[in-house]
Amino acid sequence: MARFSPFDIQARPNYLLGQALSFVLFVVCLGLYIHTSKARHQENPEDRVVPSAAQLRAGIHSSALEPAEEDDYIAPEGAGKWERFRHSMIWKDTASSGKRFGISLLLFLPAILLALHIGLYPYFNAGFMRFVLFFDKIVALSLLPILIIVFGTDELSKISLIFIGVAPTLILDVIQMVKAVPQEQVVKSFTLGANDFDVTYRVVLKQIMPQIINSLRLNLKPIMLFLFAGEMIAASDGLAYRIAIMRRHMGMDVILPYVLWVALLLFLVDFGLRLVNKRMHPWFQS
Amino acid sequence: MVPVLEMEANALAAAPSSAAGTAIHVDRVTVSYAVGKNTRKVILDEVELEIAAGEFVVVLGETGCGKSTMLRMILGQEQPTAGAIHVAGKTIDRVGASCGYVPQKYSLFPDRTVLGNLMMGPETANYHILGRLKPSFRAFRKAVREQAMKQLERMGLHATDADKYPHQLSGGMQQRVAIAQALMMKPTILLMDEAFSALDPGTRGSLQQMLREIWLETKPTVVFVTHNTAEALFLASRIIVLAKQTGPGRAGAKVALDMRLPETGMSLKKNGQRFLDLVEHIELCSQGFEAAAELTLNFEGNAQ
Repeated sequence: MARFSPFDIQARPNYLLGQALSFVLFVVCLGLYIHTSKARHQENPEDRVVPSAAQLRAGIHSSALEPAEEDDYIAPEGAGKWERFRHSMIWKDTASSGKRFGISLLLFLPAILLALHIGLYPYFNAGFMRFVLFFDKIVALSLLPILIIVFGTDELSKISLIFIGVAPTLILDVIQMVKAVPQEQVVKSFTLGANDFDVTYRVVLKQIMPQIINSLRLNLKPIMLFLFAGEMIAASDGLAYRIAIMRRHMGMDVILPYVLWVALLLFLVDFGLRLVNKRMHPWFQS
Repeated sequence: MVPVLEMEANALAAAPSSAAGTAIHVDRVTVSYAVGKNTRKVILDEVELEIAAGEFVVVLGETGCGKSTMLRMILGQEQPTAGAIHVAGKTIDRVGASCGYVPQKYSLFPDRTVLGNLMMGPETANYHILGRLKPSFRAFRKAVREQAMKQLERMGLHATDADKYPHQLSGGMQQRVAIAQALMMKPTILLMDEAFSALDPGTRGSLQQMLREIWLETKPTVVFVTHNTAEALFLASRIIVLAKQTGPGRAGAKVALDMRLPETGMSLKKNGQRFLDLVEHIELCSQGFEAAAELTLNFEGNAQ
């Protein structure tokens, strides 16, 4: 049996070793954090830069079970955890950011349909392609001041920022997907009596749908990036707004749980989209 | 000069004369495209061809001689630079349902099961998206489903294959389904572009046999593009060889050989030396227009 060094390309760890290795960096990070926190707290028991487990617990408690400072809500006597969570700071911020995130996703639908038409219909291509290519080169964040001047600090400016930041890339990505559909499929559809509508929506869109979902998955982080940029600059609620506020007070006990919460939410959205792809497009998995 | 072989006076009944009606007329078609400011590359040069209804025409020729271009024009996917293509008397200017089509690959829709692929044609052609809300659609769908299952069986596939996706089938099975898919539309003209080229010899042989049986049974007009001369002799009732003109000042391909075969199903085993002579002759023709033009043949198909 051949013996490989762990650094050989042809070396294959067994299942258990592979699983164990995948957790090593998590353990290292956690160990480093605990060590640093302990060291800093020995020097200064009031240290807030690397909060201790107790401080983090208190931060999570205040974020998840207590209302935001600016809210007037007072939990009734004997209110359950769920009731308190529904009026908590993290819930309020998640709902605000989630609403902006959801509206942005909805706005991507017409962008995807536009891309489908640009990819398939030469006249659409002639009319839109150059403009999309130009728009794709504009740095979305550089437009933020203009958006705030034009739309104010309302939702519209933040949603516009996400749309301007992500839509051109998404459109170009979908155009590539459409172009990658073999021409034989389009021709075959016409020979089977399909019309333009059938070819566009029942053949091409159906075939590229799993790739569109994958593209959305890959764009989740850019979407969140623009959402956070918007919220940090001009918002009165939202996950990024709260992180920005907490930064002023060195509130790492709240910032860290928020960062992990955002990561968890993104993971769940990504997992949901992956599940949708698996269930709805079993043919694509191959 | 185009050497036209009429190999036997009583040529096949399966190779009808134009009296049976012209299915496809390639009317002095030239195809060229610009390669520079003042130069054009000519692919096909005034190709003239009439294909009668019910003929099984195999188009042969070397790579790049314009076989597939001609097929795409008959299909309506490409337009000639000069001349016109008439299918069933109508000038073709776009892809439509007038012809069935089986390409070499990507025939099947990967997002549909085998049954879905077979049913797509009749459903799409008869009921558009809102029409599917009509009560009659259910009965229609049921009938199409039965028809699709019969077609599947005819192609040598099992009922259990109906729910499989194309990627779960072998290359040969995929092409069987692709042919069945085209046949579901009951086409009077079937265009096949190197449909069996990617298959192993065994699968290819069985598909050739199956296609020949289908043709003998229903007699659609078939235009079959291939590189394979043996395949052409087995399937064709008529062989067209396209070859590039190589003389000075000449460009593009023309019909170098237009030959009606005395019988279909020719093979080395069945026809021996005669088969080999024909293979040699066809391959010589496909190597160049001039080589073909200089060649004359006797009725036995031997080069003189």
